[in-house]
Amino acid sequence: MPKQHRGSKVVRQAFAWPVAVQCAWLAGLAAAAPPVMKDAATHEQLALQLRKCQQEDPMHRLPPSRAEPPPKQAQDLISQSDVLCFGGIATLVPKHAVLLLPKAMANRSEFTAGSTLMGWAEFYAKNRGWITTVEVTNEQAAGTQPLDAEVSLRLKGSICVVVATYQGGPISVLSPKASPSAPTPSDPIQSNPSKH
Amino acid sequence: MKIYILRLVLVLIAAATLASAQTPGYTNFIRQLQTSTGVQRDASVAASGVQWSPLPVGSGGSRFELWTVTNQPLASYLLDTKYVGAFIPVAGVTIHSEDPYGPVLRTRADRPFSVHISVSGLLNAITDPAPTKYVNVLRYVQSYGTNGTGVNLDNSHATLLTQASITQDGSQTLSYALTSIPGTNLRKVRGEERFSLFSQAQRQTSVAQIASSHIQIWPVADGVLSGLSQGQLIRLAMPQVTVTLNDLYPSSTTYVQVYHGNPQLGVTGKTVPGSTLVLNESVPQSRVLTLKGYDAVLDSEGLWTMELLTLTPFGIDRLAYVSFNLNRMIKINSNLTTIE
Repeated sequence: MPKQHRGSKVVRQAFAWPVAVQCAWLAGLAAAAPPVMKDAATHEQLALQLRKCQQEDPMHRLPPSRAEPPPKQAQDLISQSDVLCFGGIATLVPKHAVLLLPKAMANRSEFTAGSTLMGWAEFYAKNRGWITTVEVTNEQAAGTQPLDAEVSLRLKGSICVVVATYQGGPISVLSPKASPSAPTPSDPIQSNPSKH
Repeated sequence: MKIYILRLVLVLIAAATLASAQTPGYTNFIRQLQTSTGVQRDASVAASGVQWSPLPVGSGGSRFELWTVTNQPLASYLLDTKYVGAFIPVAGVTIHSEDPYGPVLRTRADRPFSVHISVSGLLNAITDPAPTKYVNVLRYVQSYGTNGTGVNLDNSHATLLTQASITQDGSQTLSYALTSIPGTNLRKVRGEERFSLFSQAQRQTSVAQIASSHIQIWPVADGVLSGLSQGQLIRLAMPQVTVTLNDLYPSSTTYVQVYHGNPQLGVTGKTVPGSTLVLNESVPQSRVLTLKGYDAVLDSEGLWTMELLTLTPFGIDRLAYVSFNLNRMIKINSNLTTIE
């Protein structure tokens, strides 16, 4: 079982007061009333309670839905993002925001366990030495206009990781729809971690 | 008008960010998604900041998602969403439980929680298109499976439990006595419940999730005291006791206490040395403790009860208990005689 916080400890004192302190702390968080002691609920008790709960479902008080439920979508930011990680710090940018990832820096698109996550602005400020940005327009991000020729040249010659931004914020750049010959994030001149 | 709404959205999200920023180990991200194109932009703000989103709201509307991400393990949790678009109602979903922990809301399988839903911007004129007159609220449940923690959970496998329509502006609270996540042992279910509000498809927009929130459900703890049997007579040193603890609530204090007399709920006894386990985690924990050399807390002879208790934001639960008789008195019968 993964531990996200390592805050547990066994207290080896013989006195009752540490427990009293914990009682007071947790009780204070939960409610003003002192904690009530009871036996842990059994499956049978919960099954009875659940049956009653389902009979009195508050959703039944609302008008029934007239629409087909929408298709379910995976909700996970990691799968919608590219990772940039170096020197024990990391950030997430939208997928297809990394326009160029030089082979020499391929490992910087992999999250190193234990790295500290931070927002883009802070991460970029600390890693300007190997990251450069390219400002794109709303239309270029949507793929309705190709990237500027100058940008394409920069991508060809860059030895840095290139991230597309819109007014400073990383933005995904979709493949151009109108002009198939225009440079795209998946063109051979580039290596992009978002190819899949 | 759109710009105004957009600014409002970011203010609300920033407020949520502020609350979540209080818990170490989580990093927050805000994403703006253009629903018509699929373009995503990182629109993060500082924990207490407010800013305008420079990216215009798309023709199909924009969805703003507030995420929190842990780095160990690398996992993301969707905390809140707001949708902005033309003729799209504004909605919010807030879940409350007895556990004040954040940013990811949580409670226990046997505890209640409530869902507060607010909707505004619904139209009601006869000429208004039908999709502008209501939104749908959907309740999903999803089990994490045995010993699951919800890391990298695929929400597309969630089960739609119930759905209903909201046809009038206003707010309402849905109260639930306990979770409906299915399981063969309801004490041990672990998973999450999600409440999502969807607007309906219109000419320029598809079905859009306009608000969503979820709560994690963790199992009820159980424990065993072994090494002492009910009614056992202890004549000399107290035996070594093994305390097996399963599914302890992430924020809990568990300990063993002893007191004179028969088992009775609500009695405050003496804590057995070495038995106190303080947890401040994000997922349930299982441990095994060994108690020995605790004779000093049993300061008199007679009937004693040993209890295993766990203190959580929901109160104190007794997980196990055993009574035993202590008689350490040694009677020496002697006879002194002389030759005379």
